[in-house]
Amino acid sequence: MKAIELLPLGGLAAASAQDLAARLSRHVVVPCRVAAAPAWEARALPGREQLDADALLGDLEARASREAVLVGLTDRDIAIPIFTFVFGRARLGGGAALVSLARLDPVFYGLPPDPAHTARRAEVEVRHELGHLAGLAHCPDGSCLMSFAGNVERVDARGPLFCRSCREALPAWLRPPSEMS
Amino acid sequence: MSTPRGPEPGRTALRILVVDDEAIVRDSLLAWFRQDGHQVEVAASGKEALHLAAAARHDIALLDIKMPGMDGLELQQRLAAACPDLTIVLMTAYASVESAVKAMKAGAYDYIIKPFDPDDLSALIRRAAEHRSLRAENLRLKRSLDEVAAPPPLLGTSAAMRRVLELVHTVAASDSTVLVTGESGTGKELVARAIHAASPRRYNPLVVVNCGALSEGILESELFGHEAGAFTGARARHKGKFEAAEGGTAFLDEIGEVSPKVQVELLRVLEEKVVTRLGGTAPVPVDFRVVAATNRNLQEAVREGRFREDLFWRLNVFTIELPSLRERPEDVPLLAEHFLSRFSQAMSRKAMALSPATLEALRSYPWPGNVRELQNAVERAVVVSHGPVIEPDDLPLHVTGAPARPGPGSLALAEKAHVQSVLDAAGWNISRAARILEVDRVTLYNKIKRYELKKPS
Repeated sequence: MKAIELLPLGGLAAASAQDLAARLSRHVVVPCRVAAAPAWEARALPGREQLDADALLGDLEARASREAVLVGLTDRDIAIPIFTFVFGRARLGGGAALVSLARLDPVFYGLPPDPAHTARRAEVEVRHELGHLAGLAHCPDGSCLMSFAGNVERVDARGPLFCRSCREALPAWLRPPSEMS
Repeated sequence: MSTPRGPEPGRTALRILVVDDEAIVRDSLLAWFRQDGHQVEVAASGKEALHLAAAARHDIALLDIKMPGMDGLELQQRLAAACPDLTIVLMTAYASVESAVKAMKAGAYDYIIKPFDPDDLSALIRRAAEHRSLRAENLRLKRSLDEVAAPPPLLGTSAAMRRVLELVHTVAASDSTVLVTGESGTGKELVARAIHAASPRRYNPLVVVNCGALSEGILESELFGHEAGAFTGARARHKGKFEAAEGGTAFLDEIGEVSPKVQVELLRVLEEKVVTRLGGTAPVPVDFRVVAATNRNLQEAVREGRFREDLFWRLNVFTIELPSLRERPEDVPLLAEHFLSRFSQAMSRKAMALSPATLEALRSYPWPGNVRELQNAVERAVVVSHGPVIEPDDLPLHVTGAPARPGPGSLALAEKAHVQSVLDAAGWNISRAARILEVDRVTLYNKIKRYELKKPS
């Protein structure tokens, strides 16, 4: 059975990653743990201050194994060349995902810090990317975890659960503990 | 890698073609759209894109503008010509107003600048999909409307009628005013309906005004409308026929009967394309195409001072002259069979036929009332016939008793005989007789008075 390993990248506070692991554990039956932060090269997109999400994702995928899916966490803003930014990145059915907390933090928008709100958004975004790793495409139901979010308000609009249709397509390792008992 | 699930409930998977010389763009959009459950094909050049478009249908194409060889603007034109249903979006990293204007003028649906805001791209694809869906539904509805609203056909294989049909199709595409001339009963209203149905205005109203049937005051009110209080009984604002014809066609039948006063007002409307309602002051812009009809000789009326010359020339832009039925006797059998089929179906009679003697009688009669008279004769025959075959005895007496060649006698005499015949056949039931003659009751009463017709005691 797979485990979910969170990798804090580039100085992201370990406490944030631990908190996120605890939140995720409530929703998945597999173990969620924080792995040791690897040495990594922060590569920015040419001409932009944002990190190259695809390059980072490639590094993470190289480390993934059959026993665990990896989720890289960074507090740096990330993007891919065709988009002005992305919240996260994962390939459908892949072995690793990347999530940036930068635009999930109210401070990015000039608002006061709100760690609880940021943590909730991070949890939602990580579960969304895990859904992509499980092969789920975007869902038209705006309250489903798999709905597309092009701005942070849409992230907030996602509910705490997958919709019925998406839930039925979840693999065993991504199902909640209550369903497996 | 697991295969993405199929379309989610409530969403249709789109077939998207991405064309960009940069691999990173192609790969990123491929992954992005697949995450949304769409089918995606990518091409690195215009040439490759054209091959893919020829091999399979796509719903939306995203084209990079700046590509070596064939650029996005040229590719857009070629794709638009080859795949008219394709919705095309152009992408560029250079926010150039000039290329945006070029793209939109050439028919691109939209224009987006790289790098995209993810929300903007998602919204754009959603809008493009809705646009496609609306366009397809619009086409479906128009096709249905065309079928349902198709006017009765203009029948005739004679050279004269073939010429009329050619003229109808020629003028329909334009917005020119048409004057349809011909004897009573030759099908002038059918021509007007055919012109409207073949014109770009066909999805807008066709408004018919019988100028000969209305008194001057009522005609003014009908044509131009009135404001509340404009005259006794005008309790509310009433839009006239010209306003009702907005975007469509106004058919002015019996235009030769219009009084001099209304001719002046009509000329102003046709020249300035504004109407002022009776009792009103504000001119209202109107947009309609005019088809007018008359069985009178308008040029003679102009010479005699009964019709304004300037109005005549305003109406006489394109003239279609309908032949009388006696000028095209070869069309009589075709028309008779058509009416026979229509009326026998309407009266739930089994398949009926015209005997050779009946056909000969129909061909020989001069039909002073033209197609309308022929129609009425066939309708009467279907009513009175005992069997499935129409015999000469089923036809009105004046049809079978008439000389084989056109003889002396005025049109009025023929009309009087016909009206008497129909009244007798209808048992002097005015409503029924009016329906057979296709006139209103007022008109029929006027004819009874004019010809001093009397009900047999």
